Amino acid sequence: MSRQPDGSAALGRGAATSVPDRETQKRFGRRAVVVGLVLTLVAGLFGWRLTGLQLLEPDRFVAHGEAQRIRTVQLRAGRGAIVDRNGVDLVLSVPGQSMVANPRRVEDPARAARALAQVLGADREVLERRLSSDRSFVYLGRQVSDEVAVATLALDITGVYVEEEWVRVRPGEDSALAVLGRTDIDSNGISGLELVYDGLLSGTDGEKVVEVGMRGASIPGGEYSVEPASDGRTLVLTLDRALQFEAERLLLEGVDSAGGQGGVLIAMRPATGEILASATVKRSSDGTVHISSEHRSVTWTYEPGSIIKPLTFSAILDRAVAAPHTVREVPPRLDVHDATFSDAPFHETEEFTVAEIMRRSSNVGTILWSLELGPEALHEQLREFGLGSVTDLDFPGEARGILPSVGEWSGTSLPTIAIGQGVSTTPLQMLTAYAALANGGIRPAPTLVLGTRDDRGMFDPRRPGPSMTVVPAAVAAEVVAMMEQVVATGTGTRGQVPGYRVAGKTGTAWKPSPTGGYGSKGDRAYVASFAGFLPAEAPQLAVLVVVDEPSGQAYSGGRVAAPVFAQFSRFAVRQLRIPSEEERVGLDEEGRVIALTPARHALLREAAEAARFEESGGVVASSATGG
Amino acid sequence: MTAVLRPPRTALERRTGERVAERTTARSAVGLAGALAVFGFFATLLTLAAFHSVVVSGQFEFDRLQQRLEDGHERAQVLRAEVARLESPGRILEVAGGRLGLVYPERIFLYSVVPGDPLTMLPAPVGDPFSRSYR
Repeated sequence: MSRQPDGSAALGRGAATSVPDRETQKRFGRRAVVVGLVLTLVAGLFGWRLTGLQLLEPDRFVAHGEAQRIRTVQLRAGRGAIVDRNGVDLVLSVPGQSMVANPRRVEDPARAARALAQVLGADREVLERRLSSDRSFVYLGRQVSDEVAVATLALDITGVYVEEEWVRVRPGEDSALAVLGRTDIDSNGISGLELVYDGLLSGTDGEKVVEVGMRGASIPGGEYSVEPASDGRTLVLTLDRALQFEAERLLLEGVDSAGGQGGVLIAMRPATGEILASATVKRSSDGTVHISSEHRSVTWTYEPGSIIKPLTFSAILDRAVAAPHTVREVPPRLDVHDATFSDAPFHETEEFTVAEIMRRSSNVGTILWSLELGPEALHEQLREFGLGSVTDLDFPGEARGILPSVGEWSGTSLPTIAIGQGVSTTPLQMLTAYAALANGGIRPAPTLVLGTRDDRGMFDPRRPGPSMTVVPAAVAAEVVAMMEQVVATGTGTRGQVPGYRVAGKTGTAWKPSPTGGYGSKGDRAYVASFAGFLPAEAPQLAVLVVVDEPSGQAYSGGRVAAPVFAQFSRFAVRQLRIPSEEERVGLDEEGRVIALTPARHALLREAAEAARFEESGGVVASSATGG
Repeated sequence: MTAVLRPPRTALERRTGERVAERTTARSAVGLAGALAVFGFFATLLTLAAFHSVVVSGQFEFDRLQQRLEDGHERAQVLRAEVARLESPGRILEVAGGRLGLVYPERIFLYSVVPGDPLTMLPAPVGDPFSRSYR
């Protein structure tokens, strides 16, 4: 029996009827072609779109995507603090808040402005105008208090937000305002040291790039980069906050009681030129005396009067025209060219030594010696003391004063300038000249800045300015000895400081009238001043006090300015730990303890740390200190 | 009972049986491998999910700590300003003259510099010296 397979049986029943006929096959083929074409077309469209997205304009869509999820946060650098020599904060920045709005999101600007005006205490129309603008960012209130911010947010106005920013504060309020200066609302320095050191204080802003989700949380593993903000450096000043405050307090009292229009007090370390305090007060139109925002120690020029005499006698002694004990006859009056000069109080024609002339502050005696000195020598000496040129302080608006060149001098210039009239100086120039005498004839470069600190506490000292020798040390010592007599028994006895030998000189200068000349007796304005330093044998503190236009019965430097000098110095020697004559006896004995100022203490500690750092080959990092 | 006599298996049947047996064995192996693959896939997914969850919570913690750090810096700055304000001589003078009614003495006695002034601080007063109970 054959077992050949049967084709029809294999296909099953009906197989013969399921075989498509030719027509069906054609129709199926056409449909397949159509479907294929449609699919191809759709695929082509997708392909074309994909090509467009991926190849033709990918940047636009990449940017769009990034804009949705990548957020760049600006990291604002904090403005550096300004601290005194002991690390006490004088100016610093604290976080504050401002109310801002996106006007495009504010639904009803008029209504919002009405509500906000009450809370912010701002003008409703101004707010409405801002909220109606087509910008996406406007300020509603800058640097508002926490309470105002909370109350504003409680209004729940769509499109109104809080923005954090730094606010500049001075914990001591107006103290040292003239030196420190101000910043604008965006923390940019606009005056004083804030302006001079704006670059150092500002720092550099940073940036943080993060990939965020819908709720603003960072996406783990997403794009993340941080360029940290570099905070501004801390500026370490030479000022001492306590001295500054006391200087302002005493000057306010002194000017007020003298009926003056203003006053200046500057204190300096003669050896280094470091300014320890610089106070300026002014009488306002309502008659009250207040701390001025103008740093008149360097911006105001005045005719110094008799406090210039130690400089004149420095030239006389230096040129060997006379010695302190040289005697000459001094009349009560002297006519030079077309002017008459006299001494006050009146005296008969007497024989005075140079020291006696200084002690009595004799104009006639000084003029007689300066006539022998000659104009060139006097001019050169005054110029070397720093008169007529700006100091190295680098303070905005610093005046250079007026010291006319010899060619411009008239017949009365020499006698006039020798006694401090016809020449104008800033208070700082005069104090620097006195510091030169106190410093053995070496004129220091005045400075307000000790250095800067970075945010890790590393201190970078400021390079001291150039100092120059203006008179030999022997001459300076002779002048200082004469100045000691001024305070001991002369015109400056009110400048005495118990326990200390003080060298100083009084000055009562005529103030030029706005209409010219110096006015007549009884109708004359004065500038009273006293400059001195102590201890006279090894000066560590030089102070100048100037009272502008004292109007009381007492208007002389010896009665108006010297007491302020004495009161301030009594406080300053304690604050600066300057031992008195009595205290210095046996100071080097074993077991005795010398107190240090915080600044000196910090300096010694830093020096010890630096030494350890050197010894360890740079392994041990210096620790940060305050500020 | 009569035993049913099965016809002897042909060679074709034998080959078919062997093929079925081989196929069954292969299918079991593929099934096992598939099951393992599926298990491995889901296990990997679970592991990734767990890892992701750890990373996410770590990120949240990182964000939180960073925020705390910034808040701490700001707070420190505010406190620093407050300390400076409280220590300022002007405020002390104001409190002394105003709230406490202190006046300047006619004569001021200043402390001596040496000897025995080693900058050691005086001990802080016990309790509040200005409270009523202390008085």
